[in-house]
Formats: sequence, structure tokens, C-alpha cells
Amino acid sequence: MRARLRRWALLGFLGLFILFLYGPTFTILLLSFQGPDGGLTFPMNGVSLHWFVRLFQQQAVGDFGGAMQRSLALATMVTVATVSISLSAGLAFRRGFRGADWLFTLTVASLIVPSILISLGIGLLFNQSGLDPTWYGSAFGAQLTWTLPFGLLIMFAVFNRFDRSLEEAARDLGASPAQSLRFVLLPLITPSLIGIALFGFTLSYDEFARTLLTAGSDNTLPLEIYGMTTNVTTPVLYALGTVTTGVSFVAIGLGLWAMRALSRRPAR
Amino acid sequence: MTSKRVTRRTLLAGAGVALGSGAVTGFPTIWAQNIKNVTLRQFGTGVSNLNAVADQVKKDLGFTLSMTALDSDAVTQKAVTQPKSYDVADIEYWICKKVFPTGTMQPMDVKRIKNFDKIVPIFTSGRLTPSSSIAQGTAPHTVGFVEKQDSKTFSTKQTGWMTLIPTIYNADTLGIRPDLVGRKITHWKDLVDPAFKGKASILNIPSIGIMDAAMVMESLGTLKYADKGNMTKAEIDKTIAFLIEAKKAGQFRAFWKSFDESVNLMASGEVIIQSMWSPAVAAVRSKGIPCVYQPLAEGYRAWGGGLGLARHLTGLQLDAAYEYINWYLSGWVGAYLNRQGYYSAVLETAKQHMSADEWGFWIEGKPAKADILSPDGKVMEKAGAVRDGGSFEQRMGAVACWNSVMTEDRYMVQKWNEFIAA
Amino acid sequence: MRLRACLPWIQAAPLALILGGFLLLPILVLIVVSFFDYDSVQILPGFVLTNYVDVLGSVTTWRIYGNTLRYTAIVWVLTTLLGFGVAYVLAFEIRDRAMQMVLFLVCTVPFLTSNIIRQISWIPFLGREGLLNQALLRLGVIDAPLEFLLFSDFAVILAYVHLYTLFMVTPVFNTMMRIDRRLIEAAVDNGANAWQVLTQVIIPLCKPGIAIGSIFVVTLTMGDFMTVRLMSGGQSASVGLMIANQISLLQYPAACAGAVVLLAAVLGMIAAILRIVDIRREL
Repeated sequence: MRARLRRWALLGFLGLFILFLYGPTFTILLLSFQGPDGGLTFPMNGVSLHWFVRLFQQQAVGDFGGAMQRSLALATMVTVATVSISLSAGLAFRRGFRGADWLFTLTVASLIVPSILISLGIGLLFNQSGLDPTWYGSAFGAQLTWTLPFGLLIMFAVFNRFDRSLEEAARDLGASPAQSLRFVLLPLITPSLIGIALFGFTLSYDEFARTLLTAGSDNTLPLEIYGMTTNVTTPVLYALGTVTTGVSFVAIGLGLWAMRALSRRPAR
Repeated sequence: MTSKRVTRRTLLAGAGVALGSGAVTGFPTIWAQNIKNVTLRQFGTGVSNLNAVADQVKKDLGFTLSMTALDSDAVTQKAVTQPKSYDVADIEYWICKKVFPTGTMQPMDVKRIKNFDKIVPIFTSGRLTPSSSIAQGTAPHTVGFVEKQDSKTFSTKQTGWMTLIPTIYNADTLGIRPDLVGRKITHWKDLVDPAFKGKASILNIPSIGIMDAAMVMESLGTLKYADKGNMTKAEIDKTIAFLIEAKKAGQFRAFWKSFDESVNLMASGEVIIQSMWSPAVAAVRSKGIPCVYQPLAEGYRAWGGGLGLARHLTGLQLDAAYEYINWYLSGWVGAYLNRQGYYSAVLETAKQHMSADEWGFWIEGKPAKADILSPDGKVMEKAGAVRDGGSFEQRMGAVACWNSVMTEDRYMVQKWNEFIAA
Repeated sequence: MRLRACLPWIQAAPLALILGGFLLLPILVLIVVSFFDYDSVQILPGFVLTNYVDVLGSVTTWRIYGNTLRYTAIVWVLTTLLGFGVAYVLAFEIRDRAMQMVLFLVCTVPFLTSNIIRQISWIPFLGREGLLNQALLRLGVIDAPLEFLLFSDFAVILAYVHLYTLFMVTPVFNTMMRIDRRLIEAAVDNGANAWQVLTQVIIPLCKPGIAIGSIFVVTLTMGDFMTVRLMSGGQSASVGLMIANQISLLQYPAACAGAVVLLAAVLGMIAAILRIVDIRREL
């Protein structure tokens, strides 16, 4: 009885935390159904789907479609790079190498230096060296200085007290280091790698300050939205939020369904 | 279909050559067909980087104008540190004082600007009418010209080389919620009336916020500035001390930085009196919430923005840029901006694109005969309404001070940080 | 054999190259510029210490650091407690791998809506006419809207906790998953109660995860300027905001000096964290 009570209390705590995370999302959801004359704040001025329709039309300032395409492409690039580079560097740190201390300090420094100054510095470097700043060049690099420290440090948490005997056993059985990585290590840490990918994607997709002066002529989505707030903004922003949340849930659902379907297929 | 287009294109190209050769003899327009392949990249804040303008450029001039909107701080940084990422910069006059000397832009030859003579004289001589006085602060004409094509320092008088072509400008004052303030607002000092404790706001851009405070100080009679736009250290000290006192007394609810924030603060009732922009007031009102732009005895704090050309522009691209600038002053954009409550650089041409009623309401301060519509067709003002502050001459003639960069701005930012930390 | 000896270097090379090009070079530029002089119109290359004198010699700087450190301390305590709790439930109560994954995804979804939009939405949530105040008024808990909910220290800290708790959850969860369950069973078999298991087995084994999460939370809070500006309504200062104000007026030398001081201060704090828990020794 007490054990069950404890379990419910703990699950309730998790539920409350998730509710807290969704506080702003809930407000955004409600206000995205504002009437055509409504604003970004309460009171509601009627209820309508007006802003969802407006979302797919041309805005007074800025362009959601183009900016979102760039942001999605950039976030995908950053995710792939973050996962592979952090995994590789994580393996290196595990074995240890000369200069590891310096590289580690640099990685931590990457988190601290105010983003806006990194942005400025990279922008200036590109300008001085005659390269054109672009979202897929300079902004890509700038975002990696943001996502890599997260990727690497989470990698540390993953490898923390990792049971080396498994790998040793594999090697004793004649597996090459590559085979032991491929068949022993990777399957064990795959869920954590997905976690890092999730971090990388979210951090990049919503990155603002580091992209600000490195994106070149074209804006990413956060920059575009911030640019829009320099003029009259409308609940179209909230409609975008609601649609984003909705699409994410559908994607999670589809992913789950696919996983189920795959696991139900007999393994060969 | 294809062959038809080819012939038409060849024809136009031929016409382009004809006109192009005309340019040698002083004909100002080069209508070469290949100008249509040009893309001009413009950036600035969302205030004037409107998609409607880009669409109209495509229609009228044939080339592509790609617009990037950023916040005001980023615009400054980009203008200075990323000169290759833009062709046309849309920046404000006060910050031009810092941006232009960095050498990332080139001045414009006024001989190539058709309507130069018709630009409102505030931007050329500094005086609205020959008899009016020049307001304090970084008045646009003081950073509007340079000596020669390659010079980076401003000229004290009008020359043949212009740094920025004015896009929009306006006179700012306090916006209020008449339903919640409950009394007449007539002076800047009303901003710090204890009755509005916790419900007031000012601008959170250091060099501009401090001028809002200076307007209040002068209104209270505590300090008389030689130049509010260029304070001495002692004046900065006194102004910041005053702000800190007001802040500690809980006068301010929040400070706003973006257009949007000022609208949200007002619309949500968090703030009932604050320094504001005219279109922001209109935006609050369009949501059915009463909001008034209050003319005040001490006058307005004015600002203006303009288009500048990147230094790297040459040849055809430069021609296209001049083409665009000339088009900008030819009336369509002017009318579009005037209809939002801003003012355009050449009023004469804008008038041709506005109805008599619109012109009467926005520029002459006359009562509207019919409903006044925004550029996208929404009702902004009902028939019978009169613009807050009245006519163009009444509003722009009562400018007390322009947004500015002070000589002591290093000290000013330190003190502003002290104020925020207090 | 030679290849195997070089392997770690090859594996670390991509990280080193990217950080070298996109971080080290900008930092060097930053350090150089921090010694430049400037006036109201331009930056004057040279070697002066005035920027550092201005930063370190001003009472305002110290007050702002005090304020930022206060935020950091409060946010760190809250995110650690909350983050540890959430990670604990995820790792020990929800044992199903797929379910853990789904919950993680669900926690990430709110962050896919741009932060700028989320920040705007705090006004209608916490404001005078906001959802929370309206709900409390209707329930009769309060008679007048609570003003401190928005544009206050409370609002700033709430937003930080909202933004940063997941940065604590993830590393702690990952270390928890590495804990050998047999250790816990052994402790229970030896008569340890739940509290003892928690404090004497789980928490010590989670220290590296907590340390990593702390690095995230501390650096994010110390360097922030957007959240503090928006949530305090521009009425609270942070080190980042001080630097941002200087940048906005193109006072790069002063901003760079401020950044170098901030970098030194935070690296010092991280070194202290690593003194207590060396996350790299436990790899």
C-alpha cells in the first residue's frame, strides 16, 4: 500500500513538472484561436481559426516558409554533426590523450563566452578573410560551438562508470576494436545518442544570438520571428506555436507506431 | 509561348540599349533588360522592411528586392560588421552617426536622385520651414551629407553627397489608455505622476530612454539642458539619479524595446502611460482597446530612418540601387507609409497616391470624412476622427529633440547600466 | 600500432578543429579588442587598460555580478532538486525504455516553439489579466491580481527554471541508467531503507551527472541577457545585459573586456565544481 502510494506520488510529481513545462504552450494554444481583431494578450476577442489561415499567407514583414526551411535544414546538419563529433571526441577522452585538459577547458569556455560576442567574432573573421557569411557556413560553425559542449558533456555522463568488462569480453572473443564499437558499445548507448540528437536539434532550431551576425543575408526562423516583433505582430505567432506543437506530437506518434510495427516483425 | 517570350525579351533588351546609350547624354534612367536579373538585398527593422514594398518593386521595376528584417540592435551590428551581406541598409539617422564613419557604406550622388529637391527640408537644411529652429539632438541633416564620394566624415552643410535617403520619420510622445488614466495628460512630467505608480514605461534603448527621462526632467522644471541629445556628464548624472529614484519608488512596470512589446504592454493593461510610436498606438486601438497618442506641451522626441548603399555596390547593381531609391521617393511607398501614421520623405509625390480624405486626415490634421483604412484594408479610424497632434506641420514643427548619439555615450551607457542594476 | 596510439587524437580532431576555428580565434580577437580604446564615433586600436579599469573599478559591475550570482545560486538549487527528482522518476519508476523515450520527447516539445514566442506568452499567463491571476481570482484565493508574478525577480527565476531544468535532467538521468541495479538490491538486502539507499547509494553515484548538469545551468544563467531583460521588464541587470547594452552602441572594446572578465569568473566557478567532482576521472 505504502509502496503504491509512493509510486503515485512520484508519478504525480513528474506529471506536475510536465504541466509546468507546458504552461506557456497552453497559453499559446488558447490565444492562437483569437478572433480576427484579437491581440497577443488576453482578453480574447472572439474565437476563430483566422490566424491559422493567415499563417499560410504572406505576412506584412518576413517569411515563415523560407526561414523555417532554412532552420530545419540547419538543425538537421547540426544534429548529425553534433552526434558524430561528440561520440568521436567522447571516445578520445575515454582513452585520454595529451592536450585533453586544454580541449576540455575550451569546450567549457564555449558555453560561457557570451553568444552575441562569438557571433560578432565569427562574423568579423569571415568578413576579414573575404568569405561570405551564410547560414550553412558561418552560422553552422557558430551553432556547433553551442551544441558540441552539450553533446560532449552528455557523452561524459553516458560513459560515466561504463562497464569496460563488456568490451574486454568482446575483445577476448576476438573482436577487433571496430567490431567491439559497432556490436557492443553502440547498441548500448544508442538511446543516449538519440538524446544528444534531440538536444542538438532543439538547441539549433531555436538558436538566436550565435546565428544573429553569422547567418548572412537570409534569416533563420528565430531571427525572422524576432525581426517580425519590430512591427505589429499578431496571433499568427501563436498559431505557428500551436502548429509546431501539433506536428511534433504527430511525429512522436508516428515514430512510436513505426517502432511497434518494426518490433512486431519477426527478427531474422 | 516560349518563342513569344524570347522575342519580347529581345525587344526589351533592344530598348534597354537605346535608353542605356541615352544615359551617357545625361538621361537619368537605365532600363537595361538585364537589370531585371539583379537582386538587391535590403535589411533593416520590420518597421519599413515590408513585403508589400518588395512586391511593388518587382511589379514596377522588375528586379528582386529581398528583405531581411532584424531587431534594431542587430541592424546596427550588421551594418558595421557584415558589409558584404547586404546591398541596401535601412538604418536610423542617430546610429548613422556611428555607422557611416566605419566606411561600410557609400554616399549617394544627389544629381542622380530625381526628387532630391522635394525632400522635406528637415533632412537637408534641418529646418521644417526657413524660419523654424533646429531641434536638439542628432538632427538628421547633421549626419546627412559628406564632403566627397569617398569621405567618411560628415559635412556641416549640404553637399552633393548624401549618406541616407530618408524613408520614414515621426514625432514620438506619450501613449495613454484614456479609460484607465482617468485625467487629462498634458505634460511629459505626467509620466512620473505617483497616481500611475507601477503602470508607466519608457524605452529600454539607453540613448533614447535617457532622452525620454530628459523630457520629463525639463517638464518638471528640475533641470534645463543645453542639448538633451548631447548631455554633459553632470546632466547624465542628474538624469540617471532621477530615473533611479523613480524606479525605486516603483513607478515603472517594465521598459520596452521592440515595437511589439510596447503594444502588448498597453493592450494587456500592464502599462497605462508610456512613450510610444504612433503606429503602435494604432495597433492597440485596432484591437478595440482605447489608446490615445497624447500631444504634450513640451513637444515631441523625433526619429528618422533612411536607406544607405553598401560600399561594394558597383555597375549594374549600383544603377539598380539608384533606380530603387528614385522609385522609393516617387510616391507609392510614401503613401503606404503615411497611411500607417509615419511620414515619408517626399510628401508631394505621396499625395498623388493618397485620396484627398486620407491626405487630409494623415497630413493636414483634418477630420476624416469617411473611415480611414490601413494599407491592408482594416478600419483604423472612424469617420469624423482627427489625428492626435494634428497636422504634419503641427507635429513635426513641435519637435523638441531628435534621437541621438552623445559625445559622452561611453559614460552614458555606464550610468544606464547603473540605473538598470539599481 | 602507431595508428592505435594516434587514434584518440584523430577522434578528438573534429572537435578541436571546430572549436579552434569558430571559438578560439574569436576569443583571441575578443582579447585583443578588449585592450583597444574607443570614443563616441569610432574604435581606436591601441593598448589601454581603461576598459578593464572601467569594468573592475565600478561599483555597478560588482553589484551586477552580485545580482547575477544570486540568480545563479537560486536557479541552481531549484533546477538541481527538480531535475534530480524528475530524472529519478524517469529512471527508477518508469522502467520501460520506450516509455522513457516518449516522456523525454514530450518534455522537449514545448521547446520547439521558438523561445521568442514563448517569452511573449508569459505576459498573458502571468500578467494582471493573465490566466493565472484570473484563475486565482475566480477561485477566491486572492482579491486583487498579484503584481509580483510578472516583471520581477520571481518571473526571471521562474523562466530560468522553466528553460534550464531539462539541462539537469538529461545528464543525471544518463548517470542513473549506469547504476548497477544489483547495488541497490544489495543495499536493501542489508537492511537499508529507501532514504538510505537514496543518500548513500544513488546520490553519490549520480554526482558526475549532477556536476555536468550544474555546469550547464551555471554557464547558461551567468551568460544570459534575453530572459532577464524580458522577464524583469528591463528592470534587473545581469552581466550579459550589461555587455549587450555596450554592444548595441558599438562599444566593442568595453564589451570585450566585460566578456573576458565574465569568462574568467565562470571558468573559475567551473573549476570549483570539477574540484568537488572530477567528471573526467570517472569516465
